[in-house]
Amino acid sequence: MSAETARAEVSTQTPYLPTEDDTRFWQSAAEGHLLFQKCDQCSYIRWPAAGVCPECLSRASTWLEVDGVGTLWSNVTYRRAYAASLKEQVPYPVGLVELDCGVRLLTRLVDLPHEGAEVGMALTVDYREVGDHGVVPVFGPAKTVLPAVPLV
Amino acid sequence: MAAFASAPGAVRGRAAVVAVGNTLQGELPGMSADEIGVEALRVTLQQSGIQKSQIDGLITCKSYGGFGIDTEIGRLAGLNPAYSATLDYGTCNFSLHLAVAAIEAGLASVIAIVYGTNQRSAGNRFTLPLGRQDDASVYGFLNVAGVAGMAFQRHKKLYGTTEADLGEIAVSQRKYAIDNELAIFRKPLSIDDYLAEPYLIEPLRRADICMISDGGACLIVASADKAAELTGTPVHVMGIAQQTGLRDRQNADQWMRPWIEQVAERIYPAAGIDRADVQALYIQDPTSVWVMQMLEWYGFAPFGGVGDAFRSGAVGFGGKLPLNTNGGQLSEAYMWGFLHLVEMIRQLRGEAGARQLEPFRVAQYCSTYGMLKAASTIFSLDRS
Repeated sequence: MSAETARAEVSTQTPYLPTEDDTRFWQSAAEGHLLFQKCDQCSYIRWPAAGVCPECLSRASTWLEVDGVGTLWSNVTYRRAYAASLKEQVPYPVGLVELDCGVRLLTRLVDLPHEGAEVGMALTVDYREVGDHGVVPVFGPAKTVLPAVPLV
Repeated sequence: MAAFASAPGAVRGRAAVVAVGNTLQGELPGMSADEIGVEALRVTLQQSGIQKSQIDGLITCKSYGGFGIDTEIGRLAGLNPAYSATLDYGTCNFSLHLAVAAIEAGLASVIAIVYGTNQRSAGNRFTLPLGRQDDASVYGFLNVAGVAGMAFQRHKKLYGTTEADLGEIAVSQRKYAIDNELAIFRKPLSIDDYLAEPYLIEPLRRADICMISDGGACLIVASADKAAELTGTPVHVMGIAQQTGLRDRQNADQWMRPWIEQVAERIYPAAGIDRADVQALYIQDPTSVWVMQMLEWYGFAPFGGVGDAFRSGAVGFGGKLPLNTNGGQLSEAYMWGFLHLVEMIRQLRGEAGARQLEPFRVAQYCSTYGMLKAASTIFSLDRS
């Protein structure tokens, strides 16, 4: 394998190409909705998107809109661009949010106060353009929002 | 002793490391990854006096770019061993444990573990996302230090750990590396120097993250009988333990890597020793955060107490428990942990040159595979 082929394995391709499993997630997010698969058999809400429930192994699931609220598990700030496509974006904050529905979602943090993010802070989803990816879910300090209307 | 003999992972010297070797580290242009691996094998055979014809097992691990497959290495090295295998994730402990299992099962009795990489020359910028393509591509969550930085940021909040505490790890390892001609980083590093470094991925700095390098390493592992034939100083494998967290972030606190604790619970009964019997410690360190976590989960420091453990002289350079005496991956080279074992074997045998510690007989090696697996091995110069 040549050095060029090896380089191609480096996963900084942009924009991200959704998979068969997670296309619905990204498409819904672009329209301002946060949806995950809920298992029809055991009700486990899973992420990453997959064809099988990791709890009960059932293949039957339904996409469910969830409330975009949770808490910040932790965060970092990228001071260096590890890919050419990120040069315009540094410094940028990345966080892992633990959603109230149980899903842990990696995200960009937005609208942070001057002192920055704090582990455990309450977060609310928003939808913004990030890089070349169009509108994607991001999270900022919690705001008072009406809960999403459940799509039972 | 007999009561522990059936403990899970109780190898008790039925396998031993009989030889180790390494190539130069850094940039090795003009050699393929597999050629670098075979060069490590050649050096190891030459220095140990073991003949290629005595090798009846070959275990390789996939290296950056998809190289390092046993069928390719075997062809290149002119080997037709009775047994061969490749792990997708070598990180040394896992390759070693596979060799021990193969020896225990009788599939082979003298196994060469071979690793080579040309990832520096091939342009690995360490931008693999360690997991999910969408996180990397959409949100810019790249480099092992992204995950490690999150784990440390949370650790600061939970335990009050400071960046100066974390810096003790890189500073201690650099002190060892100054005497290591193989090491890429040998410039003295103080805590003030460390704190003055700019963040790369805040809260982590350059010195918290290992340097991508080319290089190769080789270990030869043998059954107890063969080990006695091949060397006067076998280093016995006393116990092994592993645990995974394969469900990744569906697990709570996955990046604190709590499943390491299960390895910590198993490894000492497996080896038939107490943690206090460990005389030198080796911890694989793609980032300094991994060292902090393993010191805590294995019980060498209380949670939040790693900085004090170094400052009080309990662990680290000049301390009671030597740690990563080659400088680790932070200062020496990024070899998926293989060079930790090369160093540890040489130290146990009294062959570590300028870095030689006071003689000791028992050592522990702890490693992980990213955010998904942990493993540990305890070695001794004595079988009982």
